[in-house]
Amino acid sequence: MAVTVETAAMQAVPRRRRRVARYLPALLIAPSVIMLLCLIGFPLVFALKNSFFFWNLQTSPVPLQYVGLANYELALTASAFGASLVNTIILTVTGTAIEFFLGFAIALLLATQLKGMSVSRALLIMPTTIAPIVAGFLFRYMYDPTGGLLTWLANALFLPVPAEGLLGSPNTALLSILIADVWQWTPFFAIVLYAGLLSVPKEVIEAARLDRASFAAMVFRIKLPFVLKTALIILLLRFMQLFNTFDLVLVLTRGGPGTSSRTLGYTLYQQGLIDFNIGIASATTWMIVLIINALVGLYIFFAFRKWEW
Amino acid sequence: MVSVSGYSGLTRTALYAGLLLCLMFFIGPIVWFFMLAIRPPETAFAMPPVLAFKPTAAAFFHTVIDPGANGRQAINSLIVAVGAVLLNLPFSVPAAYALSRFRMRAKKYVMLWYLGLLMAPPIAFLIPYFILMTRIGLSGTYLSMILVLQTLTIPFSIWVLKSFIDEVPKELEEAARVDGARWYVIMLRITMPLVRPGLIVTSMFAFVFAWNNAAFPLVLSSQSTATLPIGTLGYFATSGVTWSFIGAAAVLAMLPPMLIFLIFDKYVVRGLTFGAIKG
Repeated sequence: MAVTVETAAMQAVPRRRRRVARYLPALLIAPSVIMLLCLIGFPLVFALKNSFFFWNLQTSPVPLQYVGLANYELALTASAFGASLVNTIILTVTGTAIEFFLGFAIALLLATQLKGMSVSRALLIMPTTIAPIVAGFLFRYMYDPTGGLLTWLANALFLPVPAEGLLGSPNTALLSILIADVWQWTPFFAIVLYAGLLSVPKEVIEAARLDRASFAAMVFRIKLPFVLKTALIILLLRFMQLFNTFDLVLVLTRGGPGTSSRTLGYTLYQQGLIDFNIGIASATTWMIVLIINALVGLYIFFAFRKWEW
Repeated sequence: MVSVSGYSGLTRTALYAGLLLCLMFFIGPIVWFFMLAIRPPETAFAMPPVLAFKPTAAAFFHTVIDPGANGRQAINSLIVAVGAVLLNLPFSVPAAYALSRFRMRAKKYVMLWYLGLLMAPPIAFLIPYFILMTRIGLSGTYLSMILVLQTLTIPFSIWVLKSFIDEVPKELEEAARVDGARWYVIMLRITMPLVRPGLIVTSMFAFVFAWNNAAFPLVLSSQSTATLPIGTLGYFATSGVTWSFIGAAAVLAMLPPMLIFLIFDKYVVRGLTFGAIKG
């Protein structure tokens, strides 16, 4: 790592001190990098090795025999990988999109700065502070087919509710998970984008107003570019979090009925922590890791290309 | 007629109606769950929903204080969360300082690498963590959970702290440097006190990340070190446990993060944006 020290004062100090300074930045970063490499690296190598072995933790405490790519084949064919992938993509894309646009709309509402908006802002973030698994409990209670608040509300509004309940029907299970996630994370986008909107310089808004910019132009051409940098980071983070979701699914539907609400994260949970099939779970892990790296890599390449650091 | 705020009466009404709808949708469910924890169990699933009832603390008493393990689990959660916050600082403070103060060619890539780690799927690491921690004899300990939580807290803290250190004028440090102070004295005595808000932001978020994390304790905790979300999850498989108990335990799990966010409200935006927006 080539390192130069930028302060002028450093250049005046004696030579011995300068040599320390040359390695100093790398030395300061090293503990965190080594710690994280260990925490991420060991499990990944462990999973890579075991993805080529037959190993079920219920029958053996150690890997049994080398099976080549059989685990990958099984993971792709036997455990609804395709259905999980489709569900995951639907959930991730629609979830992130709804949360972003709904959040942006709420941000614009808060940005009117009418009386009461700042108190509301402080309260609105509450869903995001809750653990996803606890949010799952909350929605499971409200989705209850016989006495849940949301079931009652849907009935009162003459919306059709499946007899098995919203979580029990293959048609609405994934949608129910989506609603819970939208509830939890829309405020996150709203608060962040609201803060971004407030950081737009007053002169810019004034100039646009004098130019008689339309409401849409004001929002999308003037205000959005100012929050774009932050929006790109939080969009990516949320997209990947949602892609990796398993705790909401675990509490709400366990991937069912059938495979109707099964996500990649839950498939992995089932293979590893219910079936204890370490070989297949490791193979799935690596396929997910590759998919995620490709997605993140592409996104970073295109979105952050022109960044100054 | 246009009012002081620049919005006509009709627009104002529409805006407030929208706000009310938002609050009902986003805050309503939380209120409903708090009510579950204190309502008599027989009204939990009443149709139509019962709004007026005589509050009872029976569920709280049973799950949190009396025979239930939730009190113990809350303490476990606290130990893990505080541990995760404390362990994260010696790793993230020097790294953030270096990334803010020195020029390096790889800076952008190091920062993006940290960010990328936050996108790793936790579920993919659960089984390896479980087996590896068992092999080195750490499974079931607080330390194992605190260690793996660093994959979340260290990258986040570095991003936030770097943004705060960026704002401290270099001139303050240079004066001390001319006086012959060593780099670590400068970092700890001059820069760190100036970025105390940054330490508050990182600590509050690291605490909430750790407190809310359910994935790692799911495989790494034992009966005696189980955290609150795991204990509550176990209720679903236990016969005789009613929704009132689940409600009481879940409210206990919800309260600390909520209170932290309300108390440190002015730091929330800074943390949510990884330090990018002051809020």
